[in-house]
Amino acid sequence: MDTRAMFTNLLAAEWMKISRRPMALLLLGIFLALTALQQTLWFLVVALQEGTFSSSNVTFTILSEAAIEQVKRQLSLPGVFGAMLSAINGTGGILAIILTAGFFGSDFNWGTLRVLLTRAPHRGIYLLAKLAALQLALLVAMVITIVVGTLLSLMFGSILGLSQQIDAIAFLLLPVGMLRALLVMLPYTLIAAASAIVGRSVIAGVGGGLIFLAFDVSAGSLNTIGAVDPLIRALVNLLLQPNINRLIVDNSQMFGLNQSVLTPALDLNLLPSSWQAIGLIVIYSAIFGYSAYRTLSRQDIGGAN
Amino acid sequence: MNVIETIELTKRYGKRVVVDQLSLTVGKGEVFGFLGPNGAGKTTTIAMLLGLVKPTKGRALVLGHDVQHEPSLALRRVGAMIEAPAFYPYLSGADNLRVLARAGGIATERVAQVLDIVELRDRARDKVATYSQGMKQRLAIAAALLPDPELIMLDEPTNGLDPAGTVEIRNLIRNLAAGGRTILLCSHLLHEVEQLCQRVAIMKEGKLIAAGDVAHLLRRGQGVRARVQGDPGPAVRLLKALNWVASVTVQGDTILIDAPVERTAEINKLLIKADIVVTEIGASNSSLEEFFLTVTRSDT
Repeated sequence: MDTRAMFTNLLAAEWMKISRRPMALLLLGIFLALTALQQTLWFLVVALQEGTFSSSNVTFTILSEAAIEQVKRQLSLPGVFGAMLSAINGTGGILAIILTAGFFGSDFNWGTLRVLLTRAPHRGIYLLAKLAALQLALLVAMVITIVVGTLLSLMFGSILGLSQQIDAIAFLLLPVGMLRALLVMLPYTLIAAASAIVGRSVIAGVGGGLIFLAFDVSAGSLNTIGAVDPLIRALVNLLLQPNINRLIVDNSQMFGLNQSVLTPALDLNLLPSSWQAIGLIVIYSAIFGYSAYRTLSRQDIGGAN
Repeated sequence: MNVIETIELTKRYGKRVVVDQLSLTVGKGEVFGFLGPNGAGKTTTIAMLLGLVKPTKGRALVLGHDVQHEPSLALRRVGAMIEAPAFYPYLSGADNLRVLARAGGIATERVAQVLDIVELRDRARDKVATYSQGMKQRLAIAAALLPDPELIMLDEPTNGLDPAGTVEIRNLIRNLAAGGRTILLCSHLLHEVEQLCQRVAIMKEGKLIAAGDVAHLLRRGQGVRARVQGDPGPAVRLLKALNWVASVTVQGDTILIDAPVERTAEINKLLIKADIVVTEIGASNSSLEEFFLTVTRSDT
């Protein structure tokens, strides 16, 4: 059997496993609920500030005019695409780590890896197929989230009387945005996979992924001292978080949003260039992916634990 | 042709040697018993034969291919069940087999066939989480049968089964063997191994301590057993002095004499002549279990 056939067979097997996994459906459900809640809150903020529910024009000033304008854009087409992609790279990233850890770690916990590798003994191809199935699942989850978000924005937008403008370019840019969002999640999913493999369990995967995320976000706050000196800024921008932020900002801007309006602490001028961001994320991903491969290819596979 | 061949296969974890220079062969169509007490290194050996554990030294050849260098060729027609059955609890029995079939590039039509062989067709659509231990065990055997294997490795296939389930699995193994497949069977149920296997290998602390035809090994274990009144010490000393007695051991209140069965009457006469009261004497028909206990105890 050639390598391509092996990969295709394993991808089909891994897809069957992840697409029927209750944990995957549960995490998607949680994420959709959180996204719907977020959009409802945006809607309520705009409605209260503009007196939508009040017959006597009673209004509340919750946000500045510019911020309200931004929220309105997030509730309209095509801005909702950018808002959904941001949410995917925010809360969605944490859920993606949990999904990855569960997907990789449970094969160790249940002892099923041993059975699977007896049928398909090339561990590198197994790892590649599993990662491909995971990315495919994340892509499907992204499509569902964007559809749900768009439907909600159409509903809320019509109540608020917002104009919905959608053209072919926005639709063409959507796959670009989705791939960018997938790239943003890649290093986090890979570190979760590597941790699950090193620790041979789901808990090790969740732990490794979330600890790295927490460390990375904390280190990203060094961004503020980057303003002091260009050299410090260049060093800080070698961390993952500023590069992730750059791609999230790019995605938002692509759909007419300006992230710095709602997040004043985010200084767009201090962020690295888009090309640097893509390059660094690829390098981080390659390091984590190679660690996962190296560990898996050398380790002895035992039974359930 | 040898279906399995290990050449000085060794596995070390730090200073601990789990499998020590194991060299053995299993021929085509054989039902081979692989025995040893817990921790003897049987499962590690099977894991090395399946490419799951990397040997520290030596080689493992399966169906003529080196498992480390040509794993796909070596394992293409090998089915295995190692220790406890492992499945995805959220999938049905049939879907678990479909996952394995897809992973191995096996036609999914084969799933229905193997479910029929292990008589699980009726529960195939139920989730594995709802299966009894016996059903999981049968499903694991079905998984091992998926590639229509030439070689099947079964590690404790009757673990956790009730007597009826044990008989069922034993019959299944017998049917598989009758089909000309080679079977490597690890089991603590030595009566079962004695009934099913033509040849056995016995491991202890990573080393191969006995191997050969079951009938030959049992002949080796034949001898005379006697019971005497009071302290067996004088009887043991008397028997040990005879040049045609290979060994004398005491197990509980029984003296086991490694000597030709035809000389039972002579032994009796000698003991009586030495004023030793013999309460019972006769041939000891060694079972595989007795042989196993003798070799695994004596070799420490």
